[in-house]
Amino acid sequence: MTAKKSPLIQLNDVELTLSSDAGPVEILRGVDLHVGHGETVGIVGPSGSGKTSLLMILAGLERATKGSVRLGDATFDGLSEDALARVRGETIGIVFQDFHLIPNMTALENVALPLELSGRNDPFPRAEEALVEVGLGHRLTHYPGQLSGGEQQRVALARALAPKPALILADEPTGNLDGETGEKIMDLMFDTHQRNGTTLVMVTHEMRLADRCARRISIADGRIVADQSAVDAAAD
Amino acid sequence: MKNFSLAWRLARRELRGGLKGFRVFLACLALGVGAIAAVGWSSSAIIGGLRADAKQMLGGDIELRIVHRAATSEEFAYLSQTATKVSQSIRMRAMAISTIDTDKRTLIQLKAVDDLYPLEGMLKSTPAMSIKDALAMRDGVAGALVDPNLLDKMSVQIGDLIRVGKAQFRVSGTIDKEPDRVTSMVNFGPRLMISTKALAATGLVQPGSLIRYYYKLELPFGTNTKAWREDLTTKFPDAGWRIRGTDEAAPGVRRFIDRLTLFMSFVGYTVLLVGGVGITRAVTAYLESKTRTIAALKCLGADSKLIVSIYLLQLLCIAAIGIVIGVIGGITLPAALLGALADTLPVRPALALYPNAIMAAAAFGVVIAITAALWPIGRARQVSPRDLFRAAAQSLAQRPPMFFMAWIGAGVAVLAALVFVTATDPKFALWFILGVLATFGLLRLTGTALIVVSRRFKPGNALLRLVLANVYRPGSAAQGVILSLGLGLSVLVAVIQIEGNVSKQISERLPDEAPAYFFIDIQSHQVAEFDRIVASIDGVSGLIREPVVRGRIVEINGVAADPKNVPPESQWALRGDRAFTSTAEMKPDTQITAGAWWASDYRGPPMISLDDSLARGFGVDVGDTLTINVLGREITAEIASLRDIDWGSLRFDFAVVLSPGVLEGAPHSHIAAANATTDAEKILERAVTDAFDNVSAVQVREALQAAADLLEGIGGAIRSVAGITVIAGAIVLAGALAAGQRRRTFDAVVFKVLGATRRRIALMFVLEYGVLGLITGLAAVGVGSLASWGVITFLMGMEWTWLPLDAGMTVALALAATIGFGLAGSWRILGMRTALYLRND
Repeated sequence: MTAKKSPLIQLNDVELTLSSDAGPVEILRGVDLHVGHGETVGIVGPSGSGKTSLLMILAGLERATKGSVRLGDATFDGLSEDALARVRGETIGIVFQDFHLIPNMTALENVALPLELSGRNDPFPRAEEALVEVGLGHRLTHYPGQLSGGEQQRVALARALAPKPALILADEPTGNLDGETGEKIMDLMFDTHQRNGTTLVMVTHEMRLADRCARRISIADGRIVADQSAVDAAAD
Repeated sequence: MKNFSLAWRLARRELRGGLKGFRVFLACLALGVGAIAAVGWSSSAIIGGLRADAKQMLGGDIELRIVHRAATSEEFAYLSQTATKVSQSIRMRAMAISTIDTDKRTLIQLKAVDDLYPLEGMLKSTPAMSIKDALAMRDGVAGALVDPNLLDKMSVQIGDLIRVGKAQFRVSGTIDKEPDRVTSMVNFGPRLMISTKALAATGLVQPGSLIRYYYKLELPFGTNTKAWREDLTTKFPDAGWRIRGTDEAAPGVRRFIDRLTLFMSFVGYTVLLVGGVGITRAVTAYLESKTRTIAALKCLGADSKLIVSIYLLQLLCIAAIGIVIGVIGGITLPAALLGALADTLPVRPALALYPNAIMAAAAFGVVIAITAALWPIGRARQVSPRDLFRAAAQSLAQRPPMFFMAWIGAGVAVLAALVFVTATDPKFALWFILGVLATFGLLRLTGTALIVVSRRFKPGNALLRLVLANVYRPGSAAQGVILSLGLGLSVLVAVIQIEGNVSKQISERLPDEAPAYFFIDIQSHQVAEFDRIVASIDGVSGLIREPVVRGRIVEINGVAADPKNVPPESQWALRGDRAFTSTAEMKPDTQITAGAWWASDYRGPPMISLDDSLARGFGVDVGDTLTINVLGREITAEIASLRDIDWGSLRFDFAVVLSPGVLEGAPHSHIAAANATTDAEKILERAVTDAFDNVSAVQVREALQAAADLLEGIGGAIRSVAGITVIAGAIVLAGALAAGQRRRTFDAVVFKVLGATRRRIALMFVLEYGVLGLITGLAAVGVGSLASWGVITFLMGMEWTWLPLDAGMTVALALAATIGFGLAGSWRILGMRTALYLRND
């Protein structure tokens, strides 16, 4: 069951082939995907199936070898590296498995960073607000090295959410966290989604997390092999 | 502006990490800037000192010098009328003989001074006394002040009597400071100062003797010295005196300082360039550690321009610290050194802030920091944010984008322009720049060749195979080591080979051909007796004697001769008076390169046979004319022939030989040279100087020894200065090896896990560093020897010989540096507990 709302993401016949010493490797093979505003999508699949590559295509970090990628009004084809960076800054928040906080910036500065980059006037009050939202109002001036893994991921989440992006892309966001902490992070993500109506696309290998999304997409060998609502998926 | 403010904010946050990763960067930049600041500042301080003390060094507002004759009464009257004070002094070479032991005799620089001496400054003596008292006549014997060296040389003490010419003098004291004497680099005899009144008694003032009369003038306050000089020349157009103002008080020192500054500047530039290599490596290592941060910034929307701005601003901030350290060190260290050496220097340095020197050093620092950092920043600019999703190792791109290469090219061009602007000789600057580019190219080529050969060569021995694999695999230190250490070592090899060749030329080649003695100031009426005495001594041979007169070349082809209009290597001939001779017969072994020698009975209009290299410098050929001024008389002569003279051989020869009869009537003396066996040397000296009070003997071996000693002193200083380039190279080398330390630790741990002993791992490291050191040393010897060959052959016109011992020492130094630094870093790894590393990794 695909979304019937006006699509935020439109991928048409997307292929991705990477070159390697052993010859070209086909990563994605003709992916068609439409994701509407406010949807939550879990992407699942075995290792090497192309999940992360699909996420990178969505983030404009990888260029499709073939096919078209459209995010809102922006068509990625033909956009320069720097133009894509601006699109990311304005529209997309990314949450990584490894957090990727800047080690010599405080939690507040890390969260304010995308706001500063997009030229917002109120980066620090907004960043503080985002940190309070993820329960880290008391950790503003701490450096990443002074925070636990769960706290670091919460900072990363706050950083992704602070600019109020239309789309959150999450790559195994709980992969480096214990079960309980991971659960809290997921609660935060879904709470935010409900509050702000943000579109959430999450790559995970944990079915339990994918089940929390309204829609689950399964990938195998570079192709979408199943695209179901969570209810349908649960029934399978 | 908005972007700049954002970049600046982010750069400041990044800088919170402190300067820990920037030690090599700071050391390289500070050393380079410091070297350039030190050279520029020291040169400015000495030139400033020259200007400040010019009047004292000149001995007045104006100095006039006439050779062979004193000022006429008309001339002296004019000087006395137009000046407030006129002080006369007379200088010549003479022999001093101890009255206690007549075997103790030496060539001296005699200076006779009048009662007004010195017009400027104070003469200091030991014991302290007035000059008047020191030189006064007591018990019928005049006093003399002497250089302290003379006491040692002649084994005399204060109060003893010594003989100069026909007169005896009492040594009243030693001279501590002679205000108008600029310390000469080479002195072929100590100073002996007497009064002008006592000079006559010596009998040394003979027609044609090489006597220089000096008149130091104090002009009324506010006198326009330029106008005064013009008036003097108009009034006495044929006087033939050399006039000097305070703006040219010590031209020899100025020239020496200029040359020294030029050489030192090039050492400074080299240190800076070696530092540039270190900066590139340090920035690369820093940015390699920042790839995840850069990728994260890009993920969050930072564009490449912002990334470049952030890191360029950071590096500029750190560069500012390095530049400030360099400038402060570059001023304080030489200031302390010059302060400590002030008494032994020819000039009292004027310690002050010299903004031009500081600005130049800072400009070099900024340009090298930016240019050297652009390469790694350009590579970092290419970091892709998708790397954050991959577990693959983070590394910088192979090379920056093309427009970055253009910026780097522009940086190199600005550096070259700065070298041109700040170097005192643009021709040398051009050669230096070309040399540096060629050296970079050759060293780079050597590194590439080593990597290619290591990759292709597959030895059977497993250890050697591993060693060679370390040389060529990604992350190899080969290029870094060869470039960083190679550049500094190449300069050292070049300097040592040049200096060694010049020393060899003087100490080994010359004595075989050079005469034992030169005898000067032989009067015409003494010639027959002189020849007889010399011929009568066993073991003396090869006597050559020529008439000689001092004069100046005043016109070349009818145009006033100005040293500025001829190349530097020919300027000496136009700078002051020179010795001319006149002869009918051509000496055996003379090599005529153009024209023909005159007939032995030639009596026509004056002709000249000129040194071939001077002719080239003057731009003249056979048929052109030179005008010389001898004792105020101008003689224009046509060039009849050109001769090839090897001045390095010290053969008895003259650059300008006049046709017979030209000097007849002019008061002239004779100069002679003779060979002698070691036993006959002292007998010859004694016989001649006993027979003729006025004749001075210059022992060639002694003069050569003085030159050799001087050269050794200068050589030592030059080697030390050139050594700074090696220190810079060593810092860069240490940085380059440290950068590979992480990989090396990993390798060592894996080897240990796989069963390698510590001894085996250590041997592998030693062999790897040894291969790099050996190749670097050999490359430096090749490049440095090539440069020294060029300088010796083309610039100095001398015969170049390769000095294998010096080259071998350089290779040994390279080996010691690479193995030493390499093992110093690796030693800790060998002792490390493998399990601990594996648990922490």
